[in-house]
Amino acid sequence: MSNNINRAFRAILLGSVLAAGSPSIAIGAGADADKLAALQQQLDASIAMINSLAARVRELEAHQGAAPASEPGTPAAAPPDAQRIAAVEQKVAQIETANATRYADDTGLATHGFADVGAGTYNPYTNDAKGFYVGNLDFYLTPRLGDRTRALFELNFEASADGAIEVDLERAQIGYQFSDQATVWLGRFHTPYGYVNTAMHHGAWIMDALRRPRFLQFEDQGGNLPAHTVGAWVTGAARVGDDRVLYDLYLGNGQQIVDGTIDMRNAGNTHGNAIVGGRAGYQFGSAAWGGLTIGVHAFSSHIDDDQVPVDETRVRAWGAYAALDSDRWEHMAEFYIFNNQDLSGGTGYHRSEAGFAQLGYRGPWGVGYLRYERAALDQSDPYFARQRAGNSYYRGALGVRFDIDFKSALKFELANTHDTDRVVDQDNEALAQYAIRF
Amino acid sequence: MQSVSSAIRSAGPAWRRRGLLALGGLFAGWSGAVMAGDIYVICNAAVSLRAVEARDLFLGEKSLAGSTRLQPADNAAAQAAFLEKVLKVDAAKYAVIWTKKAFRDGANPPAIKASDAEALAYVKATPGGCSYLSTPPVGAVTVVGKF
Repeated sequence: MSNNINRAFRAILLGSVLAAGSPSIAIGAGADADKLAALQQQLDASIAMINSLAARVRELEAHQGAAPASEPGTPAAAPPDAQRIAAVEQKVAQIETANATRYADDTGLATHGFADVGAGTYNPYTNDAKGFYVGNLDFYLTPRLGDRTRALFELNFEASADGAIEVDLERAQIGYQFSDQATVWLGRFHTPYGYVNTAMHHGAWIMDALRRPRFLQFEDQGGNLPAHTVGAWVTGAARVGDDRVLYDLYLGNGQQIVDGTIDMRNAGNTHGNAIVGGRAGYQFGSAAWGGLTIGVHAFSSHIDDDQVPVDETRVRAWGAYAALDSDRWEHMAEFYIFNNQDLSGGTGYHRSEAGFAQLGYRGPWGVGYLRYERAALDQSDPYFARQRAGNSYYRGALGVRFDIDFKSALKFELANTHDTDRVVDQDNEALAQYAIRF
Repeated sequence: MQSVSSAIRSAGPAWRRRGLLALGGLFAGWSGAVMAGDIYVICNAAVSLRAVEARDLFLGEKSLAGSTRLQPADNAAAQAAFLEKVLKVDAAKYAVIWTKKAFRDGANPPAIKASDAEALAYVKATPGGCSYLSTPPVGAVTVVGKF
């Protein structure tokens, strides 16, 4: 092949030079010898360059294991650049198709979570401690399991009041989605009452405020309600124009008060009695009311304790809630009325009340909030009397949250708390919290 | 220094008209630039969905169409326009919505595709697949809506 190229180039070049020179020869028959000599020199140089290129081609072909030379009469090969472009285009198309058909879940289960640390004149969950504190390290998993099956697991590491690190499987739910309007969950879930308990989970970052209202804290952080239920939960929403109707129904193990803390009885309870409850809400979607949700809730639970003899209480609670979550405002309010029946001591019915209201403003820098909360809990009711933090109180709080970036926030809160029975006291708290999501 | 309003007042009626026209033209050009391009929300050919359901689909409120599990995918190349025109939220709020949705309901956020071509290929190849494009779709897909 290289010999063919060599001969062809020589012929073309010679012809070109001769063709270029011939007019001048024809026009000037008496051209001088110098001009001819210059042309001869150019021709020699060109031939030398062609020989050099031909040698280089032979060398390259020898290195690459030369492809068979195309026979005369075979179609001319596509130019090398066109071939390369076609190959690149084919590869890009293959990559796009491969990426497009690859689901997000076939590369493994992503792990997400929340964490927070802080400092304060008191620990935000117990006034027995002061200074710096480790909050929660909370992981949650939402594996994709199929068209209808869903799952949610939340594993939380937290420091107890005495500083020991405890691990809780805060939520362990496996559910079947019948439709967009009905999903049935089994396992351990956050009891659907009010707004906060199912909107603000253990991750501190997810809340604009630094902490939940005290009576709505989780059980091991001093809360007075059964925040977790182990059982079955039906939930869903139906769209009505721009709005949505929300509902929840649940049935689970009746809780037990153990060491002054409500326990959700992960393995079942001894008496076989249950908690049963429901919640109904209406979420506005129109421009005028967008972000507003209102609702009512109620539950009844048979709750005993670890005393001898055992105290048994039929806890009956009902109430209402409202939440406005818009670009500018975050307001929320809940109230609860308890009408508990003492089943073992014969002291009859006991009425208690608890509630809070929080006003929040969202600016480009973060959120400012103002909250008032109050719990008037009957201390002759064994349900509250046996709880370590079952006393009545009221608290005012002023806080601010600065969003450092999309995944981290710095929060500060000033609060004044008055304990109004058992030991009458008051605390002033200054708290700081650094919360992240990942 | 003369203010803009006093300059308009001191100018003659003809200049005022010209000024207003110029301002109108500027505004029209600016708004056209902001709203540039349509967004086509598409689903796999086997999926039937109404345009009003596009928002619910990408916010995790709608996950089934009949017996088909919907699998929405964001298209990074057209996401900014999609969020502005269809969901009416910015990227930061969209991320927060999905963080909360996942944590509260156990839902998973949409997968992400890099381009119109990749999003289109995903929708065609995935039963229940849905996404959005900045150019009219080519081939057998369901166009849920043009925004």
